[in-house]
Amino acid sequence: MTGNPLHDGLRLEPTPGPTTLVIFGASGDLTRRKLLPALYRLSHRSRLPAQFAVIGVARSAMEDEAFRAQFRESLREFAGPDAEWDEVAKSLASQMYYLSGETSDPGLYQRLATRLKEIQGAEGVLFYLAIPPTIYATVIEQLGAANLATQPERGWRRVIIEKPFGTDLASARELNQIAHRHFSEDQVYRIDHYLGKETVQNLLVFRFGNGMFEPVWNRRYIDHVQITASETVGVEHRAAYYEGAGALRDMVQNHLMQVLSLVAMEPPIAFTAESVRDRKLDALLAVQPLVDVGDSTRTGWGVVRAQYGAGWVNGAEVPAYCAEPGVNPASTAETFVAARVLLDSWRWAGVPFYLRTGKRLPKRTTEIAIQFRRPPLEIFRRASQTSVVPDLLIVNVQPDEGISLRFDAKLPGTRMQIAPVMMNFRYGTTFGGEVPEAYETLLLDAMLGDPTLFARHDFVETSWALMTPVLEAWRSQPGPIPTYEAGEWGPAQADELIAQDRRRWRTL
Amino acid sequence: MTPSAPAPTSGTEVPFVKIADAMARRVCQDGGATPMRALVATVVAVGPTDRLGGATEVLQSLADAGTVRGILISEGDNAEPPARVAGNTVALHGLKPRYVNNAVAALRLSSLPTLVWWRGGLADTLDGLADLADRIVLDDEEPRAIWARAVTLFEESAFSDVRWARLTQWRALMAHFFDIPEVQAACAQFTRLEIRARDPISAALLAAWLTSTIRFNEGFAVDVTDAPGGPPVQEVRLGRFAGSDRLDDDQQELMLRLAGSESCLETSVSVRGHRSASRVVSVRDQSLIGVLTGELRIRARDMAFERAVQAIIAEGLPVGPRPESSP
Repeated sequence: MTGNPLHDGLRLEPTPGPTTLVIFGASGDLTRRKLLPALYRLSHRSRLPAQFAVIGVARSAMEDEAFRAQFRESLREFAGPDAEWDEVAKSLASQMYYLSGETSDPGLYQRLATRLKEIQGAEGVLFYLAIPPTIYATVIEQLGAANLATQPERGWRRVIIEKPFGTDLASARELNQIAHRHFSEDQVYRIDHYLGKETVQNLLVFRFGNGMFEPVWNRRYIDHVQITASETVGVEHRAAYYEGAGALRDMVQNHLMQVLSLVAMEPPIAFTAESVRDRKLDALLAVQPLVDVGDSTRTGWGVVRAQYGAGWVNGAEVPAYCAEPGVNPASTAETFVAARVLLDSWRWAGVPFYLRTGKRLPKRTTEIAIQFRRPPLEIFRRASQTSVVPDLLIVNVQPDEGISLRFDAKLPGTRMQIAPVMMNFRYGTTFGGEVPEAYETLLLDAMLGDPTLFARHDFVETSWALMTPVLEAWRSQPGPIPTYEAGEWGPAQADELIAQDRRRWRTL
Repeated sequence: MTPSAPAPTSGTEVPFVKIADAMARRVCQDGGATPMRALVATVVAVGPTDRLGGATEVLQSLADAGTVRGILISEGDNAEPPARVAGNTVALHGLKPRYVNNAVAALRLSSLPTLVWWRGGLADTLDGLADLADRIVLDDEEPRAIWARAVTLFEESAFSDVRWARLTQWRALMAHFFDIPEVQAACAQFTRLEIRARDPISAALLAAWLTSTIRFNEGFAVDVTDAPGGPPVQEVRLGRFAGSDRLDDDQQELMLRLAGSESCLETSVSVRGHRSASRVVSVRDQSLIGVLTGELRIRARDMAFERAVQAIIAEGLPVGPRPESSP
């Protein structure tokens, strides 16, 4: 029998073959908050294979039972109100094992290899690096040395690497080189959880599955694009990481560049991983350098950074970034970035993409707003007291995933009055049922061997090639960084950045 | 017992020609109270009055979610029955069967798929609906006659069955077993499929799907045993086994069994006498609302269902208990 004919038919969604998931960083935050709840939900949806096991690896000394108890605790805290310690969860827990050890100790990997041999379903092994980026290289090298990275005759070996993938172009290149020494590119899955969100995936369907949008998706009809990823939270418990990263590395280099590439890419010739990722890379290669050194008509650069000061968010008084626990009081880490991005391409020449992201902003939202040009002739200007507003297409990435279209309509009555109206499509209400969490989608895709929603090595390096000059320029600028009051939409410089083009940020 | 009327309990009674006006007025009256939603389909429930009592609630629940238009039609002898409109639901009580497809054509949302939920009635009505509907979900107490008619309409519309939809999880888990290389290798030695079921039709569908998809060796036997009470299917065992709990060296067995609470399925695989995988998974929502919501997500022909039905029509049911009565 070749393949599995029982999977034929649309009703049965694809499920991976026998798999063991090895999580490095098993006692860490990402595992507890995201990975274990995602596995629980996948199990409830029957998307995990019949032979499936999890091996948690971390430094903390722990028995299998303690790891299972951590899984239970993780469900209680992070899997949502519907999650229960039910028969399904207990059954999944019984397939969880734990290994403790230092990631630099070759003995750990020998024990891991032994454990994998003992476990049913280890034909496919997915290593998940949910560990600090500083030890990615160590783990990859050790996996290679222990012969755990080599594709077996029957089965597969893959590795998921969390963001940030490098801290600049040089480190990203080095990490890619280390990964490629032991894994081929098709074994490496660089995760960006934004790509697992339904709306982000739907961008491809929206653009290339419909005939009516793509013809207007260009400089002739689109005035500009705004991509916003705002958070209300501060640095929380991530100060140690965030102090060395900042918003540019944490959000722009990965999430926002991925979203931008999906909005800007040319149509792929097929919905295959390589075709989609080739076109995304093309879009990124077309981005002009962000450090705006050659343009004498502009003041400063196309990138603004700032750090939040004290203020009020969601009705609560919050401290300044520099006063947060674990943060250097003289820190210059940016918690807000706004950027004006131009693309050198026929499709997008002259159409700015404005990006902004920040912490302690008034509202948690991620959206892509495509603002269309005004009609060439405003024939209603005299007849109507109200002015025509440009059409707007809004792709809500989170929290309320969906697409909205704003256009003008005549107000009922004998007089000509025009008002904007909004048509809304929402995933949550339209199709019913739960929208899968990004980590569910991405874990499953990695087990199935579909890299479409993962970043390729050249995309990551191209993105870092754009960010690194900005980081270097900031490093060369001594003195304090601009601040904004927590609960405001960033610093005045961000407003000035867009105002130079006679535009303004959307009020969200 | 008096059959319950297939009409929403609230709403406005209007003549047929005024339905569109009534629905528009309803939208205006509700104004901002009605959340703006993107519509996805029309769902039409058709059947005799006594089979539409429960359907009313289900349809209204789907329509209340705001994304489908619900049309409820009970067959009768009235050419111009009054229509009752409540929100996104229209109910026509006692419509002559020959006018059913005409009413559906007038009332369905244009440009969006139409799903017909067939709760029984004259088979001739199905022919007309097959032209209009994108999907027809059969839900008949004794479906073999309507299946025989449906087989001739497979090229016209996409067919499914509520029983089939409720088997989805059983089928998915069986498919997972066959992802295991040892199971694929042992498949040629399988000699028997045993199903414990309350509903022989569901058991037959499951057996027909499996035997029409995988070519088992000659002499492969299907055995359905009666399990009164409880869910339609309760246990499935496939393999080469002696029948006792003790595994011998040659024994191969795939087993799916409802767990005590009936919300979970226990699964286990035994190859060469060694139990190699076992787990518990949830059964998923088996309510009519859950099943129909699932059916609304499927847009294409279900060839696996078609093959299974054709096999049953050609070969009949495996020996087993009498058909169940649908709720």
